[in-house]
Amino acid sequence: MTPLQHYLILATVLFFIGGWGVLARRNIILIIMCIELMLNAINIALVAFSNYSPHGAGLGEVFVFFVFALAAAEVAIGLAVAIAQYRLREKLGVDELHDMRG
Amino acid sequence: MTEFSPTAFYILAFMVVVFAIGVVSFKNLIHSALSMVLCFIAVAGIYILLHAELIAAAQVLIYVGAISILIIFAIMLTRHRTGDLKLFFSRQSWLALVFVAVATIVFTAVLGSANYRSESLAQNPEDEKIAELVFNSYAFPFEVVSLVLLVAIVGAVLLAKREKQ
Repeated sequence: MTPLQHYLILATVLFFIGGWGVLARRNIILIIMCIELMLNAINIALVAFSNYSPHGAGLGEVFVFFVFALAAAEVAIGLAVAIAQYRLREKLGVDELHDMRG
Repeated sequence: MTEFSPTAFYILAFMVVVFAIGVVSFKNLIHSALSMVLCFIAVAGIYILLHAELIAAAQVLIYVGAISILIIFAIMLTRHRTGDLKLFFSRQSWLALVFVAVATIVFTAVLGSANYRSESLAQNPEDEKIAELVFNSYAFPFEVVSLVLLVAIVGAVLLAKREKQ
């Protein structure tokens, strides 16, 4: 039987790979993809805790459903902003978006 | 409850990590997106190992089916005319890699020394229990999430709409 730690370590590694992508890459769409990786890492941790904890059976899975819905909303808005920005400026680098300042 | 062999977890975990690194390090965005799809499928396998079949099905439907297609559409709509996007690694990327490696090592050390229960209770319940939780105990957050989705759809349509001159 795989111990809980191994699932949590997998979630940690996946989260920080996503974080590395967010910090290192410059393309908006790729940053959105890396945020999805980070959300997936959180979901793995939630489902693993839900499976191993003696309390509140199924609560982790319910939470994961809410994360799914919010991830879908985040992708829809993020990609709409990216496409609108591309249509205006033909640029997608996060350091080129000077006109997105308030 | 079916018991899965421990090697299945390590194979899936290896796939998740390799494809996630592929997402970050592929130069071509389409290759990154396809690597992300494979990573999501491997994560669905992890959910099956955790006896969360409903989550695994939702993962395949929502992430592999919907979100990946949306991202691939966005990549294809925004492709630069002259070849590939020249938005690869920036100067800070090695600094970011060092920071992330240190954080991963610290978190892994903390998790490894924690005293968690090592036996699975196979606690993830039947689908009826989850439906009861979502639609009874957590009905209000469920409605709030549906409102958030509605606002997101309206906002996405408004943002993506072409300005009329």
